[in-house]
Amino acid sequence: MDSQKVDMFIMTNGKFFESHQVAQIRDRLISIDDSKWSVLQTLQFKDPTVSIIVSLLGGSLGIDRFIIGDTGMGIGKLLTCGGLGIWTIIDWFLIMGATREKNYEKLQRVL
Amino acid sequence: MINIKEFAYTPGEHEAEKAANSYIMSVVALVGGLPLPIINLIATLAFYAGNRKGTYYVRWHCTQALLSQFSLLLMNSCGFWWTIAILFGPETITNKYIAYIFTIIIYNLIEFVATIYTAMKTGKGKHVEWWLYGNLTNLICKP
Repeated sequence: MDSQKVDMFIMTNGKFFESHQVAQIRDRLISIDDSKWSVLQTLQFKDPTVSIIVSLLGGSLGIDRFIIGDTGMGIGKLLTCGGLGIWTIIDWFLIMGATREKNYEKLQRVL
Repeated sequence: MINIKEFAYTPGEHEAEKAANSYIMSVVALVGGLPLPIINLIATLAFYAGNRKGTYYVRWHCTQALLSQFSLLLMNSCGFWWTIAILFGPETITNKYIAYIFTIIIYNLIEFVATIYTAMKTGKGKHVEWWLYGNLTNLICKP
């Protein structure tokens, strides 16, 4: 793919991925052909900042896990009242990384 | 006691943030779970489990945070159950009890300050190794 397009993609969506993954994503995008570009443009990534806000407000009900697509963990959190509060505290610190990982998995599926 | 050493590679911004989070989380869980001493260990263990597929730097610091919480658990548990025995059982407050409580308060304070310091340094991408715990972590955590 054209490096200009790739750089544009990275500039727009770089914040949705882990910093150590960005270089890897760039190399991968350059190596693929142009036909994937239209699919890439339609991809919607989850914002880590939104998930941390949701985690702070609705973490004890597992809403943060539902939002990033971890339905199983969300139900687990919901039924245990956020793991008696412990899981909620852990997720305040984990959820941003988990969101970025989910975004990376989503991108991997398309590529 | 606390040494800043060179790590095998320079960690990225998000890696450093995650590693620092493991220490901050242990402190938040310790305060949030008072007076039960087991809460912080469960929380750190779960955080470690959540990051077991993470990069080497993140895993290393999660392991060090976990080990440091483990020794804290042993000391605090003894203090906790001794206090329960005094409150609800036949035990009375002795000089030994006061000395023990004083010791664990000092130990908790040192651990608290060390954890905050390590979180600050780790967040900036510096590799902080604690005395004993750092060596143990090196044995447990492999790249």
